[in-house]
Amino acid sequence: MVFNSLTFIVFFATVLVLYWMPFPWTTRKVILLVASYVFYAAWNPPFIILLWISTVVDWWAANRIHHASTPWRRRAWMTVSVTANLGMLGWFKYGEFFLHNFQVLASSVGIQYQPPDFDIVLPVGISFYTFATMSYTLDVYLRRAQPTKSMLDFSLFVTFFPHLVAGPIMRPTELVPQFQKYQPPTLDQLRFGLALMTLGLFQKVVIADGFLAQPAELLFDGVKTPGALDAWIGTLAFSGQIFCDFAGYSTTAIGAALCMGFKMPDNFRFPYAAVGFSDFWRRWHITLSSWLRDYLYIPLGGNRHGEKRTYFALMMTMLLGGLWHGANWTFVVWGGLHGLYLSVERWLRKRFVNYKPGPVAFVMLGLLTYALVNITWVFFRSQTFAKAWLVLKGMFGMNANPQPILAFVHLVNVTVIVGCIVFAHWMMRTRTLESMVSRTPAPVLATAWSLMLFSVIIEQGTGNAFIYFQF
Amino acid sequence: MNKAEMASVGELTADLRTGVASPHAVGRMTSAERLTAADRPGVAQPVPERPVPVQPWGKILASVALVVLAATIAWEWRMRQLELLPGDVEDGPSFWVEERRKVDTQAVPIAIVGDSRILFDTNLDRFEALTGVRPLQLALPGTNARPFLENLAADEDFKGLVLVGITERSYFRERIGLFAAALDRYKFESPADRSAFVLNQHLSKYLGFLDNDYRLSMLVKRLDPGIRKGAESPYDVVWKVRTTFAGRQSALWARLEHDMKLNAHARHFWAMAFNLPFTEQLIADGQKRTRDAVAKIRARGGDVIFIRPPSVGAVLEEENTKLPRHRAWDPLLQAADVKGLHFLEDPVARELFPPELSHLSGACATVYTDSYVRQLAQVTDRVKLLPNAPPALTPTDCPDGRTELDRAVAVASK
Repeated sequence: MVFNSLTFIVFFATVLVLYWMPFPWTTRKVILLVASYVFYAAWNPPFIILLWISTVVDWWAANRIHHASTPWRRRAWMTVSVTANLGMLGWFKYGEFFLHNFQVLASSVGIQYQPPDFDIVLPVGISFYTFATMSYTLDVYLRRAQPTKSMLDFSLFVTFFPHLVAGPIMRPTELVPQFQKYQPPTLDQLRFGLALMTLGLFQKVVIADGFLAQPAELLFDGVKTPGALDAWIGTLAFSGQIFCDFAGYSTTAIGAALCMGFKMPDNFRFPYAAVGFSDFWRRWHITLSSWLRDYLYIPLGGNRHGEKRTYFALMMTMLLGGLWHGANWTFVVWGGLHGLYLSVERWLRKRFVNYKPGPVAFVMLGLLTYALVNITWVFFRSQTFAKAWLVLKGMFGMNANPQPILAFVHLVNVTVIVGCIVFAHWMMRTRTLESMVSRTPAPVLATAWSLMLFSVIIEQGTGNAFIYFQF
Repeated sequence: MNKAEMASVGELTADLRTGVASPHAVGRMTSAERLTAADRPGVAQPVPERPVPVQPWGKILASVALVVLAATIAWEWRMRQLELLPGDVEDGPSFWVEERRKVDTQAVPIAIVGDSRILFDTNLDRFEALTGVRPLQLALPGTNARPFLENLAADEDFKGLVLVGITERSYFRERIGLFAAALDRYKFESPADRSAFVLNQHLSKYLGFLDNDYRLSMLVKRLDPGIRKGAESPYDVVWKVRTTFAGRQSALWARLEHDMKLNAHARHFWAMAFNLPFTEQLIADGQKRTRDAVAKIRARGGDVIFIRPPSVGAVLEEENTKLPRHRAWDPLLQAADVKGLHFLEDPVARELFPPELSHLSGACATVYTDSYVRQLAQVTDRVKLLPNAPPALTPTDCPDGRTELDRAVAVASK
């Protein structure tokens, strides 16, 4: 079920009541585990089996790794875990993509191959929980973590409903200790958790779905040829939409967990105030970028083996990171562009070691970063390269006979909303939400919370899935 | 990896990622108030920090609850003033599926497929009062009836009569239209879809403001002044035109009968909607698929009858331009070998005037239903009037749907 649904409100209220009852700790954890399976089964009950497979395989493999007597046995069990996880991910997420590309490749050399029509259904959130469970065996393999002694704790780590389908991608060392030792939740955690959930749902329901989704759809899903104004405003709309959609999910998830006293990590840190792309990736989808860094970039050699190897590791990480987002070459190009940006930035830093921008240059570099990020969003959002080129050409005023696409009200909405988002990010770029809240007068907080909640209620929402569910 | 190596990796990676180890990072946070995984490369991540800001959260929450409750009550009051009624539920794929599943579990003597015309213009209570049978309402607005006729034809459980509401521009178009998801939902409805539908139906019984067409963002978008010519204006999409109650009993939203601004908008939309090409191939394909579906239903002992509800004015003119009777309706009846009830051949229906040119008012839908059901009883023995059926209605039993302008035009044309 999605957070922005009546079903989730009823579900969450029930879970909260049960969780806050004076049951023994183990009983509460069982309640959470069962609730998490119900949460996942609400999409498609049979896919719970995949969760079980992930849970059992990684639990078993991690224990084997821990007790293995020789390095090659440790490596073998780690390989079993990674193969099982990536195998499932590959089959469900990339099966049709690979078959289609194989068909195209075979056709290009004169071999006519018609793949069977598998019609594979993508289990929601498989990319997220696969990465979470893999981090468990990999951390045990890398001796960063001990295998947990409790199957219940581990199952709950994999399945815990706030992070299950769209992150934040949690590491075992972040969550399992919270299941091992009971920390009674406080009433203030519950209240602040509810405030965070309201903020997250406001971002998703009102801003992303209500005001920004349509202008982005009109540009990227329409048939008209855009000029510069429409191409830029539609792309800016998507930049705001995807941030509010995904950060909204993360904030709701963090709030839901906090209502029960659990702490989840930041997944976003005001990314549209980033200055440079390495800064951007320290602020955007932090739990994925750090996962890729720790389990892909570093094993690929990182920057320990010279410049060429560093650029190679960087590009591979970003290309695979792009592919993680979806089985489409447009995502690969999106990742490749970010890899390119990071490489150029790294090269520039080496050449201009002593450069320190002044305040104006700092802001200008930030706006340049945001503009270049928007270029990448074009590939991320477009279904085809043809569409991406059309929008890009539009952004640079290179389309002959462009047609108006977005109505005046959309132009105003996007400009105001995205302008406010970027401004807020700059105001908050070195702060946390909590520090800002602690310095805000209570009446202002109450007013802001009321406005957001009331907006969510009268926007109603139509249960639109979060964009990142498809990943 | 030993500690020294790990530290090295951490430092170097942090440099690449503008982490804390880099002295030259342009954009790194200089006074980060909380570290994240981005700041801790290559190590086990600790339990996150999630401090609760010091505030009087109990008082804040209580005041939020009071303010939001009061604001929601005020909003509900305002929406009811705008004639959004409690009980008017959101129609959609799950509601359709709930009705469609009745075919799987019980003998359904009469089912209706079609688009918004037959949906709005059929009063199920009147149908039942006349015949003792309440038809299954499977018509969907903005949706091509043909795939749904084929869906029933493919269902071995269905052996009854299908009434197919025809709006030529909808029936002969290539794609399914607005509610294509209904057929997919019928094949698989997730528990989340189902529960969302049930909860929404329950809440809608008490809250009028739960209406997709009156969401905050929709109201804001409708403020568009229309000054950007050629752009896809929010004025060019359909707004709320119907109410839907239990059993998918739908009707034209009563407000369109007297709110001339909304009435004008609906007319504007119907005049521009379905501006699609209708090739001979498309029409021939539609005829063939209809013939095949009808044959399947008849082979099981069922039957099919077509019904063409009224439209008038500019909408009818447009329909006659694109798909006149001789091009669409008549050949369709002939190709599929089915009987049809066209409103132009019905003296009662001919006198009814849809307020927004395309759909009858709720009261006139009752009159029209009365009329077409009596005709059905004459053309098929599957529909029989009850001995105690109420007396026939006439056009004078419902208000004239003409606006002042319509009347003036009518007088001028005479």
